[in-house]
Amino acid sequence: MRKSLSRILTLTKRNIKEILREPLSLIFMMAMPLVMQVLFYLIFHGLTDQFEMKYLAPGIVVFAEAFLSLFAGLLISVDRGTSFLTRLCVSPAKPYEFIFGYTLALLPLSLMQSVIFFTVGALIDPTILSAGIILSLLLSLVTSLLFIGFGILFGSLCTEKSVGGIASIVIAGQSVLSGMWFPTEGMSDGFLAVMRALPFKNATDLIKNSALGITDVNSELLMPLLVLLIYTVLVFGGAILVFKSKMKNR
Amino acid sequence: MAAIKTHNLTKKYGEHTAVDNLNLEIREGELFSLLGINGAGKTTTVKMLATLTTPTSGDALVLGNSILTDAQKIKENIDISMQESAIARKLTVEENVDFYARLSGQSEAEISDNKRRVFDIFGLSEVSGKLASQLSGGWQRKLSIALALVTRPKVLFLDEPTLGLDVIARRELWRAISEMKGSLTIILTTHYMEEAEALSDRIGIMKDGKMLFVGTKEELFRISDTKSVEDAFINIVEGAGKNA
Repeated sequence: MRKSLSRILTLTKRNIKEILREPLSLIFMMAMPLVMQVLFYLIFHGLTDQFEMKYLAPGIVVFAEAFLSLFAGLLISVDRGTSFLTRLCVSPAKPYEFIFGYTLALLPLSLMQSVIFFTVGALIDPTILSAGIILSLLLSLVTSLLFIGFGILFGSLCTEKSVGGIASIVIAGQSVLSGMWFPTEGMSDGFLAVMRALPFKNATDLIKNSALGITDVNSELLMPLLVLLIYTVLVFGGAILVFKSKMKNR
Repeated sequence: MAAIKTHNLTKKYGEHTAVDNLNLEIREGELFSLLGINGAGKTTTVKMLATLTTPTSGDALVLGNSILTDAQKIKENIDISMQESAIARKLTVEENVDFYARLSGQSEAEISDNKRRVFDIFGLSEVSGKLASQLSGGWQRKLSIALALVTRPKVLFLDEPTLGLDVIARRELWRAISEMKGSLTIILTTHYMEEAEALSDRIGIMKDGKMLFVGTKEELFRISDTKSVEDAFINIVEGAGKNA
């Protein structure tokens, strides 16, 4: 157990260094959602509730997390594409230790993103500040796990060249099916049911509801959390299986 | 005692047999070279012995542990340097060495000792702070082998360690490999006959997944009636082709 924790820590440290030494990807991950947050607020606020900062900031937090699927996918597919991961397969490290190593390296990055978007949001509109943001930040760690899981799955399945295309499906899914850019009023019941059955709207609702203040624990917190956790477990389970299988026969 | 013993080790990819009923014994402390043309089955053999791929049939014991059932025990005592330099490109040389040492579960004192040892063998001090991605091909290959050695393996697999290196870099690596000889078991695959001749205690020649010859250089020269490993290799491989 102690050896396993030590290996997870070693892998995590290496992954953090790799991430921090790729500043362009980091800037892209942070800057693009940040520009969208500011621009969309400046252009559209006052026209529709959707772009009031109290709704926009939580939406951007989850939207930016979707980019983690691309980031994690690239990190793993590059490791797989070179002999680096093959070489590590000969080490005593086990597949779940690799998965923890990638995940733990990306969680602080995700938290940093969320803090930045809420801070920028509060600078633009200080009325969004509330105790609920603390809960929202904590829950953003849970929502980010889903996207990190997607990234690990895609990185284990795809090459460095194809991982971007697959991850963009998740990013597009988060844009279109989360209800953050478009008002859901007026949408058909069928389409709304699909949105509720998928993780994207649930992730956004979870962060938005907690930031605004929970009034109904069951519908605003527990239900979206449950749906999200089911998807996260499934995605991570699939990622571990695929990663393990890829490691076994290299 | 045998460091490696294979029993009818076989690997098939669909209809193609990459390694065909291999029976081989490699002694502890020996440097054993596997020679063969492309597709002979050298790398597949190494990958099976290093637990990177599972055999279709047969088994092998590495330090007494089965590759089928005791892979984790084997992993704690072996290491590999691949054809490509398997390094973390955005870590410095020192960070790479530290990373691999820690991953193998060594104590702080062992990490410090082993880092110093491989830095000495491969002369890594002069590039210690450089990112691995900024190193020349020769330095990257040296680092890759140093990373395999810092884990203190009892069995080390070197898969084409000097492929693509210039003659100076190759000779430097030979010197480093020679310094390691005797302290651990080394299985070296190579295309360079002079490399096998300079470094090996024993040589194995493979073709089409089959082991055609195993023995010392002297035995190889005698059996093939030649005076160089290259001539002997050509005789044996072409002879097998004619007999096939």
